Amino acid sequence: MKLTDAIGPENVKLDMEATDKREAIEELIELMAESCERCDADTILEAVLARERDGSTGLEKGVAIPHAKCDAVARLRIVVGVSHDGVDFESLDGKPSHLFFLLVAPTGESGPHVQAIAKIVKMIKLDRFRERLIKAKRPEDVIETIERVENGEA
Amino acid sequence: MSNPLGNILLYIDGSESSITAAQLAITMAKTYQSVLRVMYVVNENLLAELLKARVFVQMEKMDYERDLEEDGKRYLNYVVKLGDRKGIKVETVLRKGVVHEEVAHEAEQWGADLLVQGELGEVLSLRDSFYEEGERILRKVKCPVMVVRGRERIERMYEEA
Repeated sequence: MKLTDAIGPENVKLDMEATDKREAIEELIELMAESCERCDADTILEAVLARERDGSTGLEKGVAIPHAKCDAVARLRIVVGVSHDGVDFESLDGKPSHLFFLLVAPTGESGPHVQAIAKIVKMIKLDRFRERLIKAKRPEDVIETIERVENGEA
Repeated sequence: MSNPLGNILLYIDGSESSITAAQLAITMAKTYQSVLRVMYVVNENLLAELLKARVFVQMEKMDYERDLEEDGKRYLNYVVKLGDRKGIKVETVLRKGVVHEEVAHEAEQWGADLLVQGELGEVLSLRDSFYEEGERILRKVKCPVMVVRGRERIERMYEEA
């Protein structure tokens, strides 16, 4: 699967306003719900927070990948957020998270979910990829960057 | 002379491309009177990578492993039904492990004359393609490999078979 099949400019938020972990998750879910009429934001929030209680998805290098499986979505949904100030997401290295990928998949469809997470984990290892997303001026820049890396052009 | 395509092994990962590969494999099995075996592998390596990267916690990894196994059963059953529609009996194999190693092992143990798989996925760099299993399978198996592309054409072939 291609990530850009699941992420459009409407699924990208630059200049996130959240100042803490819960606010960041809420802001991302709100963005997801804006482009998905049938997505139940409250159920998604509950699922993502439950997953975070098992262990934070704040990784190193300023990236967090909160995710959950729940039937409040009909297919894999992904949103991307950028916080220039950074958010304490209880990350592995203790540093603030600036780049967020929130993924929610229905319970009966794990394959694409796992593949998408794996692909994101792979991409965020690339310094230039992270830098380009953080410096993006428009949501379209984020999509273009993801697409270029997916196509092996970056 | 024995049938050069007596045993066809089909690898599927549930992608649209692998279903196209299944349609071609069934069409070929019918044409060449081959035995067709379809295989799905729960990618334990990938789950382990995600656990190591701390994206997954242990319980979650186990949960996803069960989910992927169920996905695999569903995909295999779907290919069996595709075979039924054309009067082709399809054998199924579900394994867990390192995908390319499991596929190569099955191909060798069973004596596959041909491995059929869907299109190769995108790789982020040639040096580092840990999740691109199609590429790894291509390099690892010892029998001839067919990488299938051209969905519309193959769908027509399957319907006409």
